[in-house]
Amino acid sequence: MIYYIVRRIVTMIPTLFVISFLIFFIIELPAGDYISNQVAALKSSGESASIAKLEFMRKEFALDRPFFERYLIWVGLWSGPHGFDGLLQGNWGWSFEFAKPVEEVIGPTLPLTVILNFATILFVYVVSFPIGIYSATRQYSWGDYGFTFLGYIGLATPNFLLGLIMLYLFNIWFGLSVGGLMAPEYIDQPWSVAKGLSVLAHLIVPTVVIGTSGTAGMIRRLRANLLDELHKQYVTTGRAKGLKEGRLLVKYPLRMALNPFIADIGNLIPSLVSGSVIVSVVLNLPTVGPVLLSALQSQDQYLAGFILLFVAVLTLMGMLVSDLLLAVLDPRIRLGGRAAS
Amino acid sequence: MISLKCRSWSVFGAVALVAASLAAAPVKALDYKEIPGLESNLPPTAERLPAEPLVVDLEAKGRATGKNGGTLHTLIGRSKDVRLINVWGYARLVGYNEALDLVPDILESVDVEDGRIFTLHTRKGHKWSDGEPFGAEDFRYFYEDIALNKELTPSGLPPFLLANGKPPKFEVLDETTVRYTWEDPNPLFLPELAKARPPFIYRPAHYLKKFHEKYGDPAFIEAEAAKTKARGWAPLHNKMDDMYNARNPDLPTLQPWMLAPGDSDRRFTLVRNPYYHRVDSTGQQLPYIDKVVMTVADGKLIAAKTQAGESNLQARNLSFSDITVLKQGEAQQHYTTALWPNSKGSEISILPNLTVKDPVWRELLRDTRFRHALSLGVDRTLINRTLFFGLGKEGNDTVLSQSPLYEDEYRTEWANYDPEQANALLDEIGLTKRDGSGTRLLPDGRPLEIILETSGERQVEEDALELVGENWKDLGIKLFVKPSQRDNLRERAISGDLVMSVWTGFENGIPTSEMPPSDYAPTRGDDLSWFAWGDYYETAGKGGEKPDWKPAARLMELYESWLKSTSKEERTEIWEEMLQIHADETIHIGLVSEVPQPVVINGVQNVPLTAIYGWDPGAQFGMHRMDEFFMAD
Amino acid sequence: MTGTRMENENTVEHYVDPAPFNPATTEALTPEQERYYQASQWKIMWWKFKRHKIAVWSGVVLILFYLCVPFAEVIAPYTPNTRDSQHLYAPPQPLHLFHEGKFVGPFVYGMKSEIDMTVMKWVFTPDPAKVQPIRFFCRGDDYMFWGLFKADFHLFCPAKGGTLFLAGTDRLGRDQLSGLIYGARLSLTVGLVGVAISIVLGLFFGGIAGYFGGILDSAIQRLIEIMRSLPELPLWMALSAALPVTWSPVWIYFGLTIILGLLDWPGLARAVRSKLLSLREEEYAKAAVLMGAKPGRVIGRHLLPGFTSHIIASATLSIPSMILGETALSFLNLGLRRPSVSWGVLLNEAQNISVVTVYPWLMAPVIPIIIVVLAFNFLGDGLRDAADPYK
Repeated sequence: MIYYIVRRIVTMIPTLFVISFLIFFIIELPAGDYISNQVAALKSSGESASIAKLEFMRKEFALDRPFFERYLIWVGLWSGPHGFDGLLQGNWGWSFEFAKPVEEVIGPTLPLTVILNFATILFVYVVSFPIGIYSATRQYSWGDYGFTFLGYIGLATPNFLLGLIMLYLFNIWFGLSVGGLMAPEYIDQPWSVAKGLSVLAHLIVPTVVIGTSGTAGMIRRLRANLLDELHKQYVTTGRAKGLKEGRLLVKYPLRMALNPFIADIGNLIPSLVSGSVIVSVVLNLPTVGPVLLSALQSQDQYLAGFILLFVAVLTLMGMLVSDLLLAVLDPRIRLGGRAAS
Repeated sequence: MISLKCRSWSVFGAVALVAASLAAAPVKALDYKEIPGLESNLPPTAERLPAEPLVVDLEAKGRATGKNGGTLHTLIGRSKDVRLINVWGYARLVGYNEALDLVPDILESVDVEDGRIFTLHTRKGHKWSDGEPFGAEDFRYFYEDIALNKELTPSGLPPFLLANGKPPKFEVLDETTVRYTWEDPNPLFLPELAKARPPFIYRPAHYLKKFHEKYGDPAFIEAEAAKTKARGWAPLHNKMDDMYNARNPDLPTLQPWMLAPGDSDRRFTLVRNPYYHRVDSTGQQLPYIDKVVMTVADGKLIAAKTQAGESNLQARNLSFSDITVLKQGEAQQHYTTALWPNSKGSEISILPNLTVKDPVWRELLRDTRFRHALSLGVDRTLINRTLFFGLGKEGNDTVLSQSPLYEDEYRTEWANYDPEQANALLDEIGLTKRDGSGTRLLPDGRPLEIILETSGERQVEEDALELVGENWKDLGIKLFVKPSQRDNLRERAISGDLVMSVWTGFENGIPTSEMPPSDYAPTRGDDLSWFAWGDYYETAGKGGEKPDWKPAARLMELYESWLKSTSKEERTEIWEEMLQIHADETIHIGLVSEVPQPVVINGVQNVPLTAIYGWDPGAQFGMHRMDEFFMAD
Repeated sequence: MTGTRMENENTVEHYVDPAPFNPATTEALTPEQERYYQASQWKIMWWKFKRHKIAVWSGVVLILFYLCVPFAEVIAPYTPNTRDSQHLYAPPQPLHLFHEGKFVGPFVYGMKSEIDMTVMKWVFTPDPAKVQPIRFFCRGDDYMFWGLFKADFHLFCPAKGGTLFLAGTDRLGRDQLSGLIYGARLSLTVGLVGVAISIVLGLFFGGIAGYFGGILDSAIQRLIEIMRSLPELPLWMALSAALPVTWSPVWIYFGLTIILGLLDWPGLARAVRSKLLSLREEEYAKAAVLMGAKPGRVIGRHLLPGFTSHIIASATLSIPSMILGETALSFLNLGLRRPSVSWGVLLNEAQNISVVTVYPWLMAPVIPIIIVVLAFNFLGDGLRDAADPYK
């Protein structure tokens, strides 16, 4: 088992290199770079006097070097204007837009991002489990259709529109400030009970909007898994033995049906950080998503690159966790794994 | 030369008057009031102000006398926009007043001789926001230790500090007086200082010297550089020396508000500068408003948030299409939606690329009759009515009526809707052959299909072009609108592939003769209507092409002579000829100008209900003196 | 049967039934059973599918929607870019049957428009004197049918000189309903391309990974890992920036859906791989290999049919995500643009909150989107249930 984990982690290293290269390639695809765009913007509004400082930045960040050199400097495998100083040396990069090191830009947004996405995942589970179980046990009943329909409505409405409508209604009905994750007056305040409550109130709309698109898929999978289990012999045997329906359901089929979801937790890790960009933009949430979007749009390349790489690392780790969880949960895989090692 | 002196005196007459009134009634008579709620460890108002502060007579301006205090909330679209506080504050060495005259502001006075010797007098006792004195040393520090320092300014002196390519002689005359002397006239100098984004030719020397290789303690510099992850003293100095962006709360400033410490990128608090140099006539120090709070919100949500009453003063990120929703919110939130005409030469301006690579197109686009036909073929009234409720002004892309240079004919020449004449002009050019669908054919047999590229950022452009396309169809011209991106547009202009594009009109639609006419001549290498000629000028003949089209060559000549001009009359004449060329030649096809910019005023007094909204000149709220705005109870 | 007879031979006196042997007498099948056992796989699927009522109805709804694709020009009363500058932001005109108690047939009242400068809004008042009956099978706006020939025949049109905006108009006075009908053309078809590409790639990579295993398998696994760790958003943005500017919007969108398809396959590939891993161990697959079938034939002929159902279902289920993907792309200004019309383009105009409050009818495109996405989902559910051989 340990050998397996170590081997998985070692194979992740070349994968990460490939990913980092792809990321760098993608963010550099659009024409120009942050500095040249800023220079052009200044020129077109006749403010050429302020350009000098930008030219300084261009040299400072080696934007005048060829593509491969820039990539290697970013990673830290090539000597840049200030020697080897890249990701490998612990320099995560510089955000032009915010004029700060990237970790200082991302840092404050992380806790709120995790809170929001955690709440969303919780919401998805809480809503879809009862519906999924109900639909599976009463297949083709009106209740099955009705609940599934409700679950799908969320999936079928474009998220950004649902978000806008709910924002508007919550503002009209409850006087909630439009967008954001808290009332504006709390933004620069330290944490307090009132701030916490404000965050909770503002969490409702994004959680519901982001969550509804996930519930449909969850309901469908749970229903299908549970139906598979319910058709198996041991259920019939149990029923023949006179087991009560409720106990019969909970004892084995439900647990079996849940296995894939627990294994899925690993896959949820990256979405804790990168989930729901568009909704976050529409609802003006102070999460990582909008930062990434604006960084991509303004070609703030090191910021975008760092976020993408961060998410990629989380994804890889999530996949590893998934595989391990699955192994722990499913004796067949676990035993097979041991035999192999 | 004498006339310039006259001008400088007449411009500065207002100050002279103020000074006179102050002299008549001794300074002591103005009873300075203390600001309630200000930190108690600060000295009293009289000691914080310069010996001779700038006294504002609000009653004379038709404004109310306010009172200190209050917090103004406003929304910005991205965290970078916090720098707008330095635009809205608009404390400049010299700045434009609402009549577009240049008047001293931070400076007590400026003396100009021969248009080439500028003597700047700062106010005695004027202090930076940290209480340290402001004076000649700060100018010297900028010029000698920043602008001339190869490491801090690798690209050398900026253009406005060069006259005929030569740097000035800089002298410190005494603690409050500095002099710049050029060999040739430098009419760019003062207008540059008054810009919305000024060059800050003064820097807080006492603060920045700590970070300068020449003055600072190397150990301290190294430690600070490590702390901020700067790689060396120059990047560190650059990071600390951030007069415009307002991201360093420790950097002293002369603006009315300054950034308060805090590390949120979503919300910024800007507090009053207790050493600001302006007072009202009752002795209250400006700015009236204690705090400006800027909250970052997605640009698309700002109209909604404003409608919900979350902003006290909002124009940024609101556009004409938001007016209906803003008006609708007035009843519940009790705010006012003021409509300020935009200062751009035109809201939407179609730019034929006169230096396009394709020889057939090049010849056609340079044919004045063709551009006239395109302009005559557009029904501007329909566009104005459809897109702007008829509130804009139909006409060419030129100066607006608020500019002293304005003439009706600049706006109306070749701008009436006359498809018959347009068709006749096209026939006269010889574009008489048509294909099966009625589209005219180019001389080489291709159909006359114009591919017009847009930045894809403004819906209103695409809407207007749809209407233009229908109009031009009647002329036998097919229009294809291709939304692209800014960068792509620029690159295609550089490569000469761009045939036609659309942009907003001239940035400065309200120039006076004293403002440089650089937009009206091919001076910039990224101008979409004549890239190659602009590049030729910008690179001093190394790149691009020499203007070989008569009107462009003449415009360039005129611009060059403006740069050497010494009198207001001379400059006015140059401006008039340039505007006339633009009107005669229809170089830009402007559609509608003076489209209102909605400005939502929610509980703020002294904000004009109608005023010009512009960037340069204007500085948005800056020219209307945001420091005089105050919060209603 | 034969076995029993042989035993009997030894113990009992030889007896041969003179009547010809008819197995039906011992194993009588009811006509239903007979039909069932002789039916092809597809027939069985169809029968099972019919039991899923909602799925059937969803199918019908989708067929109706897809009718708009070839006949948009005829069904829509206007062309999508016809402007009426007298009716900007006009609200939907309600349909009436009776005028002053008299039956006139379906008609609308004409509208008077003016600008209310105090609220800066177009105000429309129905004019009861102007009864404008709808014409059927009529001549109206000119259009190029399929871009081939000029025609002006419509299913229904506004009264002569009148208007017919059943779903209101937008800011330039373009009819929303016509926009929706034309928009179906792109929204319902272009997404199919992406799905097709994703399926082909998923089958190919999943197929070779699952069948061959070994190095090929782990290489493809790494590839899948890499694909999954790159979020879609930057890929959309970067690739759409990299597409040539000279392409027409429709081509750009085609390019984007192809990209979406290229990015979408790993999920399917994983499923195919694990299915194949188990299926190739089945006896019939081994038999085929022993008989000398080439890998392509084994996969294509023997293994793939084993999970056709899975593919069909995942195809139906990923079409709606493509449709929604289009609206998301439009939201980011990466999707289609006017003058091409799709539901995403129309909905893009509803992304400003002012629209929600002042001109609610601009949200109309959301209705067909919801209906179609729901229908595809139910249809997919039904198909999957029907195609599952174990139920």
